[in-house]
Amino acid sequence: MSLEFLLQNVINALQWGSFYALIALGYSMVYSILMLFNFTHGDIFMTGTYIGLGVATGLLALSGAMGIVLPGWLLLAMTIVIAMFLTSFVGVAVERVGYRPLRDAPRASAAITGLMIGIMLEYGNLAILGTQRLLFPPIIETVTYNIFGVFVTNKKIVIVAVALSLMLALHLFIQKTRWGMAMRAMSFDFQVVPLMGVSINLIAPMTFAIGSALAAAGGILYALAYPVLDPFMGILLGWKSFVAAILGGRGSILGAALAGFLLGFIEVFVPIVFPSTFRDLIAYSIILLILTFRPYGFFGQAHSTQLRL
Amino acid sequence: MRLAALWGWVWRSAAAVPPLGWLIGAFCAAVLELLIGYELAIMLYLPKVPPLFGATLLFQNPLLFPATLLFDLLVYILPVCAVAFGTQRLTDRAAAFLEHRPTWLAALMHLVLMYAILHVWTEASAYRLQVSKLVMIAVMLTLSLNVINGYMGEFSCSHPGFMALGAYAASVFTLVLFTQDRLFGPALLPAALGPFCYPLALFIGGMTAALGALVVAIPSFRTRGDYLAIISLAFMFIVKSAIENIEPVGGPRGMGGQPNWSTLPVVFTAMALCIWIINNFVRSTLGKALNAVRDNETAADAMTINTRRTKMVAFMFGAFWAGVAGGLYAHEVRHVTPGGFGIQMLAEQLAMVYFGGLNSVVGSVVGAVSISMVSEVLKPLGLYKWLVIPLILILVMIFRPTGLIAFRDFDIKRILAPRKAALKRRE
Amino acid sequence: MSLLRVTDMTHFFGGLRAVYRYNLTLAPGEIRGLIGPNGAGKTTIFNLITGIHTPSRGTVALEGRNIVGLRPHEIATRGLGRTFQNMLLWRHMTVLEHVRMAHYAQLQYGLFGAFFGSPRRYAEEERVEANSLRLLRIFDVERYARQIVTSLPYGAQRRVEMARAMATRPKVLFLDEPTAGMTPEELTQMIGIIRKIHQEFQVAILLIEHRLKFVMELCQRIQTLVFGEVIAEGTPEEIKNNPEVIEAYLGKEEVA
Repeated sequence: MSLEFLLQNVINALQWGSFYALIALGYSMVYSILMLFNFTHGDIFMTGTYIGLGVATGLLALSGAMGIVLPGWLLLAMTIVIAMFLTSFVGVAVERVGYRPLRDAPRASAAITGLMIGIMLEYGNLAILGTQRLLFPPIIETVTYNIFGVFVTNKKIVIVAVALSLMLALHLFIQKTRWGMAMRAMSFDFQVVPLMGVSINLIAPMTFAIGSALAAAGGILYALAYPVLDPFMGILLGWKSFVAAILGGRGSILGAALAGFLLGFIEVFVPIVFPSTFRDLIAYSIILLILTFRPYGFFGQAHSTQLRL
Repeated sequence: MRLAALWGWVWRSAAAVPPLGWLIGAFCAAVLELLIGYELAIMLYLPKVPPLFGATLLFQNPLLFPATLLFDLLVYILPVCAVAFGTQRLTDRAAAFLEHRPTWLAALMHLVLMYAILHVWTEASAYRLQVSKLVMIAVMLTLSLNVINGYMGEFSCSHPGFMALGAYAASVFTLVLFTQDRLFGPALLPAALGPFCYPLALFIGGMTAALGALVVAIPSFRTRGDYLAIISLAFMFIVKSAIENIEPVGGPRGMGGQPNWSTLPVVFTAMALCIWIINNFVRSTLGKALNAVRDNETAADAMTINTRRTKMVAFMFGAFWAGVAGGLYAHEVRHVTPGGFGIQMLAEQLAMVYFGGLNSVVGSVVGAVSISMVSEVLKPLGLYKWLVIPLILILVMIFRPTGLIAFRDFDIKRILAPRKAALKRRE
Repeated sequence: MSLLRVTDMTHFFGGLRAVYRYNLTLAPGEIRGLIGPNGAGKTTIFNLITGIHTPSRGTVALEGRNIVGLRPHEIATRGLGRTFQNMLLWRHMTVLEHVRMAHYAQLQYGLFGAFFGSPRRYAEEERVEANSLRLLRIFDVERYARQIVTSLPYGAQRRVEMARAMATRPKVLFLDEPTAGMTPEELTQMIGIIRKIHQEFQVAILLIEHRLKFVMELCQRIQTLVFGEVIAEGTPEEIKNNPEVIEAYLGKEEVA
């Protein structure tokens, strides 16, 4: 195995890791703050991608009509920002409809509701947009750089860079702002914090909004690399990221991101050594082993997680 | 207010007839349908006898709906009520007689009658037969999942995996021994022996699933709830992709050609056994230990309950029945692919458990039957079906977070008891 | 001969010394009190002896046999029953089911009986039910037998928890603040109940308590724990007059 080959795959792994990590962050935030499995998240990712598709198409049409040629990077940046903004409302709506009425219910019931909202999003999309697969418009042209024999496309660089900077932004938000502090406090103990003037009815939608926005960004980045969209694209990526989020440990942004990248690396490197059909088998077996020996994930602390039936 | 009074009256008069009466009534209705159903359907301008009480016609051809209602009234509702109320005195006396005999005798009698009804009723069409069998398999799956998710209060996602293990193990057993198969070559034993060995095949399927459950159960000693959900989910994916990589059982293309041994009596017996044994278990002190572990594990430990053994037994027990159901399923649809045992199936099974009600045998039966039925009824709607079913489930979760009939004991003795005494007690 | 003997039991949580060189000899039929300010490590001592945590050092012997390292349910089966400070009741179970459940280790039927309903199972369940009802009667909660435990008044829940603990047939009973949150009348009633079970079942009792009146009245000997160490041990009279205890515990109480 040559060094170039290795580096090539590292870049691929970083790309996949970015998708997983961005989605996992949303799961992880909701899980640490509300102790809920947000099973809708994979489908919010899908919705975000479709919203991104709409935004990108709209922007292209608009700039075409006005006769301006916007540079690709600006178009991409605008698409990501607008889609993140719009998708955050989807997250807030899901919280309002599916999770808030069940706040005192068994957590498993809330998980079921989330699962069902996800199914509704998938089939709702199918009902509205029809069964044909849509193509994400190529907003930036692919340029391939040859760096010492390693081929890197500009898209891969953009994907990894945007993902990393979003994660950094989230980290700063949570560590430095008042809202971030409230969220951390909430994840510490959401029974007590509401008594101290922080409303869970504010923090919960905010958590969903941020998570959904990140998922939308992840979706657009995903569409850059794999432009054929379908309503069920969120299922597999969503469940895998969910596993990564839990693997990271409760309340750990860093853990979720790292676990996302780990999953990316496993998935890219397993097919090099084994037949590619073994990818899922080995990825999940590794996860099973990790969780058996570190039951609370990479950075999670032991805590009581009774299902409160 | 008056509606409530009416409902109360209906409920009271229905409760005055013992189950035996209703079963006899249903049997008469089924025979009646078999005899005159077709002619009556023609008379009512229906193309054929409505397969599921006309419910499937509701969206297929709404114009025919009034006629099917009339058909239901004439063939089912009126005869059932007539016979049930007509024989009330008789059946009540029979119930009183049976009350002093061993419970199993009474239960067996009712079961035989139930089977007779199903047998006659499913004569009408192959569709009915298949739906009935699949519903019964769904009941087994729901109930066994309820043991883990409801009675023990874990959130296990591995049921499709257990089912796949059972389906494949049982199929391999029958295909190797009794059939000339593309994958495994000629039969090793005469095919005539097959149906007698089928229970063994199902048992092997169940045991395989139970062994697989150990993989999930052992980590569950260290963690609870949330992490177990992930471990079980990972387990489900592992089973799926492991089977995809085993070429001898067909890999991702799946495995077909199972003999059609999942006949109505077999499935019915398996389901009755499943309900009986699970109900026995959860009503015993050993089984109630699951609830103790769920509600507070520390206290359970301090009260001499062996929590590890309890968890392990519950996992393996639930998985065993999922495996048996998987074996039945494989011999009913006669072609299984690893892809079929995935997230979609998990979502369906979870929906049935949480819709029907946690910690309840009746709830599981209700959940499995109603979700399957709704799913059949909405089939003509195409993909809109998957907007309606989730919506129903969300509403149920919001208004009854533990499901329709949760935390209800299923006491066969009380259900089969004569009604005179019950009525007197109420007054 | 001592029923329960703890020698030099020491435990660390991370770097924190929770219990240091704790010694206890409990004779059959003795009622012993364990007092100390909040966070002194009283409940930790209970958890160490009953196997929820394993002590870092030291030995615990029940009837001369070592029980360190056994799992909690094994220790409970050997005759060490307990109640909890915050009453860990099973919220979906009825009162009768609670007490029946605690017979778990005494059941004489196995999984086969549970699955197929063997005659022995029904005989056993009948015996267990009769015994449970007897216990409920002793603790005066028989009238609640078929109710879900969370619907009971607070004092009755405490009594159900004690009935549950007694159903495990303990030789030693640990009571963790049995009067927490009780009114003075309930407190007097509780003294009567503890006396009654002490006489009727011949158990040795170790109890943690905050209310000194209660401990002074019931216990023959009292240990005072401060920061995980026993600073004084003796009869209620001796404890009452021990200057160290007054400083560490009573004195503080008077100021507060």
